[in-house]
Amino acid sequence: MKVFSSSCTFDYSWEEVSAANWRKYCPWNDKSTHVVAVDTLSRSVDSSTGILRTERLITCNQSVPQWVLSLFGGSATSHVYEVSYVDPVSKVVTMCSTNLTWSNVLSVRETVVYQPSPSDPHSTTQFNQEAKITALCGGWQKIKNKVEEASVERFSQNAKRGREGFEAVLEMSRRVFSEQRELDSNRL
Amino acid sequence: MAASIAPECNDIKEKYDTCFLKWYSEKYLRGNTTSNDCEELFTKYKTCLNVVLKEKGIDSMLEDARKSTTKEIDAETLRRG
Repeated sequence: MKVFSSSCTFDYSWEEVSAANWRKYCPWNDKSTHVVAVDTLSRSVDSSTGILRTERLITCNQSVPQWVLSLFGGSATSHVYEVSYVDPVSKVVTMCSTNLTWSNVLSVRETVVYQPSPSDPHSTTQFNQEAKITALCGGWQKIKNKVEEASVERFSQNAKRGREGFEAVLEMSRRVFSEQRELDSNRL
Repeated sequence: MAASIAPECNDIKEKYDTCFLKWYSEKYLRGNTTSNDCEELFTKYKTCLNVVLKEKGIDSMLEDARKSTTKEIDAETLRRG
């Protein structure tokens, strides 16, 4: 098993980040083009805690190294199942995702947490990401290691692009929101 | 908003996503967590989507993933909460 982790701080409030997070993969994000579809499967609010639970299906299309395709077959389209929880009281978004495609040979479990930064909780948000990547295929340890290494490498490239893309979404969201407010106040 | 895996569901998905985001920002985050303004749109969107998930065989992949992951994820999250 290999672990990939990263963290960063966004200069936006937790409310802004948690709202923009729902449209992280929209056309404003021109970096995460490997994500081609995001579908919501279920959504419910727990009546005692107010926690919003959402299940989504994320569809990716990306170039896979040729040697991976020839080892495992399959196509370049892959699916990810994501369960997320928003706790509006303690202000935490937790997103857990797992791969549906190639799940018999590779397990990728990712956890992402967004919460107000301790240093400036009203206007900045901390992002923590951890992925556990395990090759499940039987056989040589060497091959397993190679599969895990290639996966971690790809994961970290996507994570970097994802952050850059999300910054663009946050900026656009703030701009659109303030324009909307201006429109609303002109109307009054 | 991102597209749907099923192009024929894009229109209803777009309507639902817009409704949800408005509800999330204007109601849910302000403490009104029990309202469900978008239920009708979501039902329509799910009806459209489920046909395609079945056709592509994704529904059974999801069922397996739910069985193996959801329980532990839920337990973890509840423990943390």
